[in-house]
Amino acid sequence: MIILDNISKSFNATHAVKNISLTVNTGEIFGIVGPNGAGKTTTIRMMTGLLTPDEGKIIIGKYDIVKESIKAKSILGYVPDKAFLYEKLTAREFLIFISSIYSIPRNEALSRMDEMLELFGIKDIEDELIESFSQGMRQRLLFASALIHRPEALLIDEPFMGLDPFGIRMLKDVIKDLSSKGVTIFLATHSLHFAEELCHRVGFINKGSVISIKTKEEIKGMEGGLEGLFMEIGGGNKF
Amino acid sequence: MLALLLKPKLLSLKNSISTKVVLRRLPFMAIGVGFWVLFYIGTYKVLMYVRGIEFFGEILSRKLFSMTFFSLLGFLIMSSIITAISSFYLSKDIPLLLSKPVEIRDILRLKTFEAFINSSWMVLSFMPPVFIAYGISYGASAGYYLLVLGCFLLFSLITAGLGITTAHILTRLFPAKRARNALLGIGVMLFLMLYFLVKGLIPQDISTPEGFINSIMSFKTESPMLPSYWITEAVFPALGKSGFSIFYPIILLSNALFFILLSEITGLRFYRMNMERIQPSGERVKRGILGGYYPEMNTAMFYKDIKTFFRDTGQWSQVFIIGALIMIYVYNFKSIPTNALSGFPLIREIMVLVNLVLSGLVLSAVSARFIYASVSLEGQAFWIIRTSPVDMKRFIRSKFLYGFIPVTALMLVLVSLTNLAVDIRGIMMYLSLGTVLMLCISVSGLGTGFGAIYPKFKYENIASVSMSLGGMAFMLIAFSVVIATLFLEAWIFYVYKMKGAGDLSGKIQIAACVFLIFLINAASFYIPMGIGKKKLQEQIEII
Repeated sequence: MIILDNISKSFNATHAVKNISLTVNTGEIFGIVGPNGAGKTTTIRMMTGLLTPDEGKIIIGKYDIVKESIKAKSILGYVPDKAFLYEKLTAREFLIFISSIYSIPRNEALSRMDEMLELFGIKDIEDELIESFSQGMRQRLLFASALIHRPEALLIDEPFMGLDPFGIRMLKDVIKDLSSKGVTIFLATHSLHFAEELCHRVGFINKGSVISIKTKEEIKGMEGGLEGLFMEIGGGNKF
Repeated sequence: MLALLLKPKLLSLKNSISTKVVLRRLPFMAIGVGFWVLFYIGTYKVLMYVRGIEFFGEILSRKLFSMTFFSLLGFLIMSSIITAISSFYLSKDIPLLLSKPVEIRDILRLKTFEAFINSSWMVLSFMPPVFIAYGISYGASAGYYLLVLGCFLLFSLITAGLGITTAHILTRLFPAKRARNALLGIGVMLFLMLYFLVKGLIPQDISTPEGFINSIMSFKTESPMLPSYWITEAVFPALGKSGFSIFYPIILLSNALFFILLSEITGLRFYRMNMERIQPSGERVKRGILGGYYPEMNTAMFYKDIKTFFRDTGQWSQVFIIGALIMIYVYNFKSIPTNALSGFPLIREIMVLVNLVLSGLVLSAVSARFIYASVSLEGQAFWIIRTSPVDMKRFIRSKFLYGFIPVTALMLVLVSLTNLAVDIRGIMMYLSLGTVLMLCISVSGLGTGFGAIYPKFKYENIASVSMSLGGMAFMLIAFSVVIATLFLEAWIFYVYKMKGAGDLSGKIQIAACVFLIFLINAASFYIPMGIGKKKLQEQIEII
């Protein structure tokens, strides 16, 4: 479903991402972990079309994100790490806007919108301006907007940012449910225990390169679990 | 402490300047210098002409000097009020500053400095050609230039103090919807103030040349209560050989200190209270009659932009400034003594041309405020567009329409009204409306394209976008397009009048001019829109 084929990206002659190749299968939850500045966000931004790879290609479904960006984006959902939204719209208006630009027919959009607002617990504040939302509420709205067009692949950068324990529980259930329905999920996170719990496979990225990819079973069998591996690969033990 | 608080701003400025940035901005600087030179030449020529008028020359020259400061007084106060509300109450660094062990007094001083710079830098940078033209025309000594610089800074400080004080009081007086109502209050107040001021000051009899000169002379810019009078009295004598008096510079200095102090005292009294009132409160927004409307993909962005516009005080508060400028423009046009001028040859055609030049100036200014800034309005939420299946061509077209429709409606109404005010109808009316429509299309395209080429997604307030170097460059280029188009149209008219319709060389010239008009306007539309679309696709520094 998602193919990263030897992608690289540099900023001012510094490699942010270097020769990453991996495949994420349909319905799989793939997590990517790594220290700050390792290249996780850059990788996700290239997958969304926000950045263009210097080398290599990214396939979402059947589409190249650079060459057929409109088609690729129409089957993609994205939740960024920073929740910049249209502050002067209400949550409802924002979801209507998103539905419109994804060309969802009116009646379907309205019914999906109600479903999303209920699912993410923001129905009560649907008519409030986004500028008054807390970080957690913004995160819930971001998820609602990323899922309203029923994407085939979902890219998430730091999924649990600002969420309360209820929100985290709800989101974990949503992610598992989406996966069971065949939605491919690629998430970048610092929360190792969430990655361990949710992901079918986890990739370790450091200095722009994927160093290792482990399955859930492999991680379970390791001493210290994901955290132990992270410390070992990321050089954290020296601290 | 002020120096310490200013340090992050200065460091940010320093870090944003590099050889690459300077090189990228060189074309803008060149445009700015070109404008300075042209503005200087224009002012100098007008001044020499005015000074050459028998009996009245020197008096008129002084009058123009004081009228310049009188106009600047109103503009700077308005600009200071709007900027002060943004700087003191809407800036993004306020929560950080308030959470740190910093005295309110120091925050007020920092924000006063910011408001002063932001509200006056444009005027401060546009005025030197006028002062230099006066200095050269009168053969003034170096002392004049130093004096004008010092006095103008004091004059700007007075307007900043007045503006900041008013901003604090207005934010205090309008508690319900806070800034929005305060700004509405400012708008109504300014409208009434300008209306009565202009109506009260200009005598009604302007139907004869004598009446016209009298009306200018009796325009009461010379009240000793006004800072514009003080600066005229402080600076104008230094132009001559008689030297200057220290009295008025001291008046300016003492008043600058007084008004800055007054703004600080008002701030100390109201700032904390006002800040607590403007916090977002989770207030529900009524869905209204369009609540059930579901836009199609093509109209979704347009609909979103319109909604945002009316909810964002930072945007529509600028309408007041534009509104005031337009009001002055229409009133001035209405005041032209058409009867007294009716004896001059081609006066109607000249009036149409002058009207088009002035409306072109309004078009450039309005477009800088609303069209150039429209792409940047997406702010850091631009990632939403970039990650959605939205073609940038469609996006940029939507932004074009968002600016083009209201601006064109405004300009057509404006030109119709001003033409009717000087009794221009028939073919001349249709020709001028056609020209305005064409200019609206090309300038709107130019503005949207330029705004996409130089977007500023991280801004403190939207007014700062149109005041950026890109915004200034756009305004000057837009006005150049207007001038070039009108010059060519005037040339067509001249050739037609001089050579008639049958002359071959005349026909060739007319055809060439028509071709050039379409070429200039088409290029102004298509080239920036095309480059803008490409730049937006490459834009990476968005979130």
